[in-house]
Amino acid sequence: MDQEIQQKGYANPESLVTTEWVAEHLNDTDNVRIVESDEDVLLYDIGHIPNAVKIDWVEDLNDPLVRDYLDPEHFAQLMSEKGITPDTTVVFYGDKNNWWATYALWVFQLFGHDNVRVMDGGRIKWEQEGREMTQEVPSFPRTDYPVPQRDDSKIRAFKEDVMEHLEKRGPLVDVRSPGEYSGELLHMPDYPQEGALRGGHIPGAANVPWARAVREDGTFKSADELREIYEGEAGLSEGEDVIAYCRIGERSSHTWFVLKYLLGYDNVRNYDGSWTEWGNAVRAPIER
Amino acid sequence: MSLDRQGQIATLVEHYQNPRYKGILEDADVAMPGGSPECGGSVVIYVKVGKEGRIDALSFTGEGDIISQAATSMILEQVQGEGHTMDEILALDYEDFVDRVGREAVGSRTRNATLGLSTLKSAVRKYQKDSLHNGSAAEPACSR
Repeated sequence: MDQEIQQKGYANPESLVTTEWVAEHLNDTDNVRIVESDEDVLLYDIGHIPNAVKIDWVEDLNDPLVRDYLDPEHFAQLMSEKGITPDTTVVFYGDKNNWWATYALWVFQLFGHDNVRVMDGGRIKWEQEGREMTQEVPSFPRTDYPVPQRDDSKIRAFKEDVMEHLEKRGPLVDVRSPGEYSGELLHMPDYPQEGALRGGHIPGAANVPWARAVREDGTFKSADELREIYEGEAGLSEGEDVIAYCRIGERSSHTWFVLKYLLGYDNVRNYDGSWTEWGNAVRAPIER
Repeated sequence: MSLDRQGQIATLVEHYQNPRYKGILEDADVAMPGGSPECGGSVVIYVKVGKEGRIDALSFTGEGDIISQAATSMILEQVQGEGHTMDEILALDYEDFVDRVGREAVGSRTRNATLGLSTLKSAVRKYQKDSLHNGSAAEPACSR
């Protein structure tokens, strides 16, 4: 266990690894697969961690026709192509404070691939430390990854779940920007098709913009600092059933990771339908 | 000759690192925002219109991924280089522009690649609308 991670007091410190740990395991390709997942889709092409493979959330993880994730057969196929077995330790990293890395990790969890880690600090920390980068795309022998069962129920919330959650006055955390939360911003300017008919937030949701969980260097804040934000300010508590949401479920996967792994919340779900569904849904109540 | 994927990426990276027409245009007629820094990228396109609907000057500011920022630089270079009028800008085809940027490099991120072009078109429409309402060109956006 990295001392640097251990000192931050997380409930599940093994869910994070340091850049140093990754540097020491670059060639442990039989056991470890480093996966880069970015918002900026060309970053991998212009340079990545040696022996890292790329997973693109649009082209690899989304179903092209249904608003859903890939099916178990395609997940097994993807794992095979990336040389990943069910026992492989998968270490995710990426740009934007590991935003997309945690999103990819969340999708892996839908398929029960539990042996997952995030490189604390993400791509920017690796770069700023002057560590080795390459444009060489590695090739690994295909694996025979068995088709898994996909279980959405534990970590994914659907609109009906949120409705039920509302009736029970369960805690919700809206991780969008304050402008989106207040309803000032209905959608991204110039892209009304990605927006919503109504602006605001799900009634009772606390607003904690997702990036508050990280420090300026891209690493996660300590458990104490995170508790102060999510429990002290937003009023969440560990024993509760929490639902996080944003616009399409990507930013909230970051908060989901923080609550589940770093603070040890047993019951936290990501509502990936998020505001693009809720803000448009008939009879879905909102608050401004 | 069309570039392969690596060539397309190299062109995009070159524009990203050395953007053309980057910066605020102080006497612009229109300053039009587009996109989102939270998703892909955001830009502001500045347009100054001259006689007969010709574009006198263009510039952009913005932040975001390589594709959105580089493609914005590319469309401004194209419009300036080819001396497009406002109507010609509005007639530019998104698919043709994605081909020009490099479809293999852009992949599924066509929206990011057309952010600059769509925002430029919005800027032109705003200028035309304001001109129609005011009976003359809009006031410089940056003086407000």
